Amino acid sequence: MVSPEIVKIAMFLGAGISVSVSSVACGIGEGYIAGEAVHAMMKQPGANDKLFRNMFVGQAIAETGGIFSLVIAMLLLFSGLENGVLSWLTVSSLLAAGIAVGLGSVGPVLGSGYSGGQACAAIGRQPHHANDIMGNMLIGQALSQTSNIFALVVSLLLIYSIPGVPAGASLGWIIMKATALLASGLVIGFGTLGPGSGIGNVAGRANDMIGRYPAQRKTIMRTMFIGAAVSESTAIYSLVVSLLLIFAIK
Amino acid sequence: MEMTIAQGIAKAAALLGAGVCMGIGALGPGLGEGFVAGKACEGIARSPENANLITRTMLVGQAVSESTGIYSLVIALLLVFAVKV
Amino acid sequence: MTHKGLSLKTWIIIIGVIEIAVVILSGGLNKTLQVGFEDGTFAIRNVADKYSIQEAITEEFQPDLYLTENGEEGTIYGSTALYDFFHRIFGGSTLSAFSLIRMLIIVNLAILLIAFSVKKYLFDRPSKPQILMEGVYEFFDGLVIDSLGKERRSYTPYVVTIFLFIWVCNMIGMIPIPGFMEPTRNLNVPLGMGIMCITVVHITAIRTKGLWRHLEPFINPIKNPMCVLDAVGEISKVVSISFRLFGNILGGAIIVLVISSLVKFILFPVGLNLFFGLFVGTIQAFVFTMLALSYISVAITEE
Repeated sequence: MVSPEIVKIAMFLGAGISVSVSSVACGIGEGYIAGEAVHAMMKQPGANDKLFRNMFVGQAIAETGGIFSLVIAMLLLFSGLENGVLSWLTVSSLLAAGIAVGLGSVGPVLGSGYSGGQACAAIGRQPHHANDIMGNMLIGQALSQTSNIFALVVSLLLIYSIPGVPAGASLGWIIMKATALLASGLVIGFGTLGPGSGIGNVAGRANDMIGRYPAQRKTIMRTMFIGAAVSESTAIYSLVVSLLLIFAIK
Repeated sequence: MEMTIAQGIAKAAALLGAGVCMGIGALGPGLGEGFVAGKACEGIARSPENANLITRTMLVGQAVSESTGIYSLVIALLLVFAVKV
Repeated sequence: MTHKGLSLKTWIIIIGVIEIAVVILSGGLNKTLQVGFEDGTFAIRNVADKYSIQEAITEEFQPDLYLTENGEEGTIYGSTALYDFFHRIFGGSTLSAFSLIRMLIIVNLAILLIAFSVKKYLFDRPSKPQILMEGVYEFFDGLVIDSLGKERRSYTPYVVTIFLFIWVCNMIGMIPIPGFMEPTRNLNVPLGMGIMCITVVHITAIRTKGLWRHLEPFINPIKNPMCVLDAVGEISKVVSISFRLFGNILGGAIIVLVISSLVKFILFPVGLNLFFGLFVGTIQAFVFTMLALSYISVAITEE
């Protein structure tokens, strides 16, 4: 059994990693949206209101990843987990929870940012189709944030279902189980990077093209749905492997 | 539950390997498939009369890019379930 | 135009209140809070100090494991004889298999209900479900004509059936009745659907192009140097199409369960249910259908 200080170290490290890593991505993604919005306002001063609204909505959804990380950091810091039964499994679970949600929000946030930025550029080009473009942007960002929600699930599971150490457990078993918990955080953290930003790329290109050819909106949206869903499959594989590493290692 | 430390470290390495394999293996396919689909959206917008051809090509291209993700999944499952120490 | 009866907003509010009431009454609450009379006074007590998310997930997703871990006797509807009967058939996974079969029967009944309610040919004033279903059918008919051509319109019923089955499967988990679950969150259902879809793809391709012309690219390394990769790719299609459906629905179910248990099952996460049930469920059903259709259209194309 370990002392509460080591568990606190893991909690502080996890909270720091989650918020810092995701805030980097949030800064980049939301800055891109704002930059594109300003650029579009310069070209179309008449569409000021629509651009402003779209920028705010897009940034709010891109912010979701940062808020998830903040929630997990708050849970790690203030929910009194260091008062429970402590073992090395607790340490690695808490560290893995921070890594999972921190790394896992990078890709989706960048993708949502790209999607929102391209939507702002498209509204600057076609202010009359602002509602269509905004609807498409919201759907694309929701698809992109799905993998972020998977990371949040794994992180909550890691915090709230820390396994106890059975009576006859040897040191080798504890090492193995602790590594499995750490690996489950790593797999969902890295696994959502590619799919999240890939889906964001799809949604961004779709927004751009709806701005250029508004008549083809339905066909473009259909292609976006299929392409985004296919790109998501590796995030799903990561989720499956992560759940296996949490629950199937006995 | 009964495991020497060496066995535990070996199995732990296999599990960590499974995590890293699936995690980093998901990066490339995700980005690549997203790129394919984005370009397909562009192509369909520019020439909607070829929508069928473009969708088919997109699906084939994505299936090929995804094969490395499937390999990662297979290796990860093997490392989780098939490694006996 | 005047509305007769209640407006949509009123209906949504009524349904929301009923949902929350059903969840509270349906046993979610008595897991954590005990409401009753104690020493003559009314008392509400939290009895769930030992209740953990891991146990809840085991109980929800692996009921048989929960049974063996807690050393309880297995019963179905309180009857041991029924449990023993199913245990003889399914062995170690009795409870999960039983609940899956029960849900599949309910799904099939729901689809039959839809089919019987819209089968009539009406020439004036068709009902609203009829209009909706005809819209869905026309939409998929257009997709089939677009990607397979007019001469293969006979595939439309197959495609619409796949969509309806998966959509009803994904929607039925939103009904807040204890024991109701999405059949698609059990890997066997998506895997079976995936194997069926890929089989249909190959049968269609063989009927169109002939046996040898379809199979040659997969086994002849002289004609196609990448034949091994292509053959593996066919297997990976099954894996990807079924794991995508399975993982999305399972992830949604887990997060709804985790958030519900964080608020001690008092509140029902309606927003999460709308996102994961309606949005993700509909999109995944549509994507599965479109992929099944597009794989056929890839396979029958002459290169």
